[in-house]
Amino acid sequence: MVRQRFRGLFQKYLLVFFLAVAIPLAINGVIEAWFGYRDQRARLDQVLGVQATSAAARIHGFIDNITNELGWLVQLPWTDGPDEGRRTDALRLFRQAPAIVSLALFDHAGRERLFVSRVGLNRIDSRTDRSSDPAVVGARSARIWFGDVSYHRGSEPYLTVAISGNRPSVGVVVAEVNLKLIWDVISAIKVGKTGSAFVLDRPGRLIAHPDISLVLRGADEATSKPFQAIRDAIGRARAGFATGRDVEGYAIAAAAAPVAGPDWTVVVEQPVSEAFGPIYAALWRTAGLLLAGTMFSGLLAYALAHRMTEPIRLLEEGTERIRAGFFDHRISIKTGDEFQRLAESFNRMAAELALAQEHQERIARLKRFLAPQVADLVDQTGDDSVLEGRRTEVVVVFCDLRGFTSFSAGVTPEEVMSVLSEYYEALGKVITTFAATLISFSGDGLMVLVNAPVPVKEPALTAVDLAVEMQRTVQELIVCWQKRGYQIGFGVGLASGPATVGRIGYENRFDYTAIGSVVNLAARLCASAADREILMNDEVAEAVKDRRSRKKMGNRPIKGYDEAIPVFGIVFDAPIQDVSRLN
Amino acid sequence: MGDQAMPVGANMASTGFKALGHARTFDRIRRRDFLALLGGAAAWTHQAGAQRSTMPVIGYLCPESPVPFASRLKAFHDGLGETGYIVGRNVAIEYQWADGQYKKLPALAADLAARNVDLIVAPGGAPVALAAKASAANKTIVFEMGGDPVQLGVVDSLSRPGGNITGVSSLSVEVSRKRLEFMHELLPTAATLAVVANPTSPTANSQLENLRSAADFLGVGLQILQASNEQEFEPVFSVTAQKSAGGLVFTSDPYFAFRSGQLAELAQRYRVPAITQSRDFPVAGGLMSYGGDFAQSHRRAGVYAGRILNGEKPSNLPVQLVTKVEFLVNLKAAKLLGLEFSPSLISGADEVIE
Repeated sequence: MVRQRFRGLFQKYLLVFFLAVAIPLAINGVIEAWFGYRDQRARLDQVLGVQATSAAARIHGFIDNITNELGWLVQLPWTDGPDEGRRTDALRLFRQAPAIVSLALFDHAGRERLFVSRVGLNRIDSRTDRSSDPAVVGARSARIWFGDVSYHRGSEPYLTVAISGNRPSVGVVVAEVNLKLIWDVISAIKVGKTGSAFVLDRPGRLIAHPDISLVLRGADEATSKPFQAIRDAIGRARAGFATGRDVEGYAIAAAAAPVAGPDWTVVVEQPVSEAFGPIYAALWRTAGLLLAGTMFSGLLAYALAHRMTEPIRLLEEGTERIRAGFFDHRISIKTGDEFQRLAESFNRMAAELALAQEHQERIARLKRFLAPQVADLVDQTGDDSVLEGRRTEVVVVFCDLRGFTSFSAGVTPEEVMSVLSEYYEALGKVITTFAATLISFSGDGLMVLVNAPVPVKEPALTAVDLAVEMQRTVQELIVCWQKRGYQIGFGVGLASGPATVGRIGYENRFDYTAIGSVVNLAARLCASAADREILMNDEVAEAVKDRRSRKKMGNRPIKGYDEAIPVFGIVFDAPIQDVSRLN
Repeated sequence: MGDQAMPVGANMASTGFKALGHARTFDRIRRRDFLALLGGAAAWTHQAGAQRSTMPVIGYLCPESPVPFASRLKAFHDGLGETGYIVGRNVAIEYQWADGQYKKLPALAADLAARNVDLIVAPGGAPVALAAKASAANKTIVFEMGGDPVQLGVVDSLSRPGGNITGVSSLSVEVSRKRLEFMHELLPTAATLAVVANPTSPTANSQLENLRSAADFLGVGLQILQASNEQEFEPVFSVTAQKSAGGLVFTSDPYFAFRSGQLAELAQRYRVPAITQSRDFPVAGGLMSYGGDFAQSHRRAGVYAGRILNGEKPSNLPVQLVTKVEFLVNLKAAKLLGLEFSPSLISGADEVIE
């Protein structure tokens, strides 16, 4: 139980200290991560946007280069005759623009005047009417016309480009361009460290990618699909970039830019791991801080909890010791805080408890021969100097049973003890009531002292009343006893005079007693008293003469006194006994 | 990484393309080296030995002997290097040389297939690819040829080759009619032009068919000559010279291409204007050549070999067509023959040898 409470406290402290450090750290980390993420996104948006635009410009440059070259072939008007010069120009163009696979030149009427090819046979002045050819029509209306991308033999992407001159008479040039050669451009585009770019045509077929083998399968829906998905994701994102997965399933961030003219889309992509590298680094930093903070708070919690629970343990131990009665136990805590104060307070309490214990023991001792009230009184005065030996006026009361010795010889010990028990119980109550001091008892005899150790106002009167009450009480018992057939009487004797009183004995065995002739006198009077009699010396009788009805019993010879001394009795009403006299 | 493998300032167009897997492969290799270094000097020799034994092996089926093939082989090594493979360091090559005896190719291919090679490279023409496909069907094959692999039945389609074979085609076969056209342009008055075909070539018939229709279009007669070995070369030139059939047009055929020096020497001796597919011909003193850039095609074959070694499936690698078809003219040879190139021919030439 004690151990559990200790652990509980430790855990509470641990939790509190941990939270005190970890929560601010975590909040800071989350905020930093969130803002870092937003900043990084914004930056990425910007960077990828610029990259996409730049990539689109480069792809556009590839197209521009070709259209510029083609533009030279539509500068001069056609004549009716063969044009050897243009053929030379066209063949020269092949050398300058390796992507051009074939060229066709048309005059103002849309007739084919020249066709040159790298692979196929050339045609010169075939004059085939191609005025309705979409390329020718398109170039005539828009000056530069781009056809749809077609896949040569299902593999190589080709683009038809048609250009017309600034006047109809110069005709139109139509070129087949092998887009495989954009590879030079696209593979040179680097986005970040490992990012790359690709190009899709309007329907979303792959026409340029650093991995040429993908481009050569661009006509396949399956090949282009993941790329279309990225383009569509960017489209859905409206502005900025989107995240998705590339062909190999790696997470990427991608942005797009249009290529005007052929209406293509350039997509730049960067692995998310690289794009978000800084934010990941920040997150790791935060995690590291959290970990360090957690460890720190753990250590702190341990140290502080130990600092708190250790004094508590000492206090607990001290309490246990005190409970076990070791009042001299002291707790040593030098923490300089409330714990030390508590320990000092505890020590003071232990000291006081020791005192109280001592006090209690003394009272217990006093109570053995003093009436509880007297004992308390002595106790309240704070010292037992009252018990020290001195000479004082006292009233000594003796009493004993008549015929007890012969009675005890004839009955069982149980009956003897039963009678004695009732007898002392009754007398004890009376003695307590009158705050008299019980000095000793032996057998059926009893000695009580009045006015010592605690002085009373009227010792003689108190003693007489005490004696009367004793008689009354015991006589009531005697009535009962007689009913049981016991022949027992009760007599009291009291005398006042100076006596030496004080504590006698050794170690823990102490008694309070009175020494002097008055004691002997009281004992003689008791011995001389018959059943139902209370005998007193003249000094007592004198003290109560007007307040209690006394009667002269004449002078009686008392052992130890040379002459007979005057003896007085006291009148009291007591239950009538069946048997008249004893002794 | 591919960029690093290239000389600084190299023309990207001539270096072919870059595989997407380069960076990762290179990383892997570097990591492997790094781990080996970590192993310490004592472990190094063991590591190197272990590495050699686990090195991938390429079976290289070559129709010719090492000397005429040296330039092609260098281009192939360059392509491998682009994907991070250096021969002798992390890849080994086992060669089979047919030394010009194309009949031996199937047996050599079977021999390679029986060995523990990871990949068979079949460069130098359709016969090699067909032999490899026929005799080593269980192996992955990367071919390099001038013909149309679809027409030859080597692959199903260019974009989806299917099976475990892919490669590069240099367009040389398809452009043989252009050679006829160039010769016709040079000799517009010649009523008949001679065409030399190799009857053993799998593309011979289709080329001849192509040439006949081209001749019809150009309005010129054709004289078909045949040569399938070196002994038949001289008669071809002597007949052309005697019949004064004007020019001599060689069909695309590796056997011819690898004997450009010999053909150039014969052309000079018999004073016959001739055009072949290989740039080696005008370089050696021949008149003209028109054909795909073999450096590009062999280099790309090397890249494909590397990508397949990196774990890519051949069926996912489309057959590549070479983008560069080059036209070379030798003005000195023309002068010796008393001929003059028209301005359009000169301006259309990619290279003019003076």
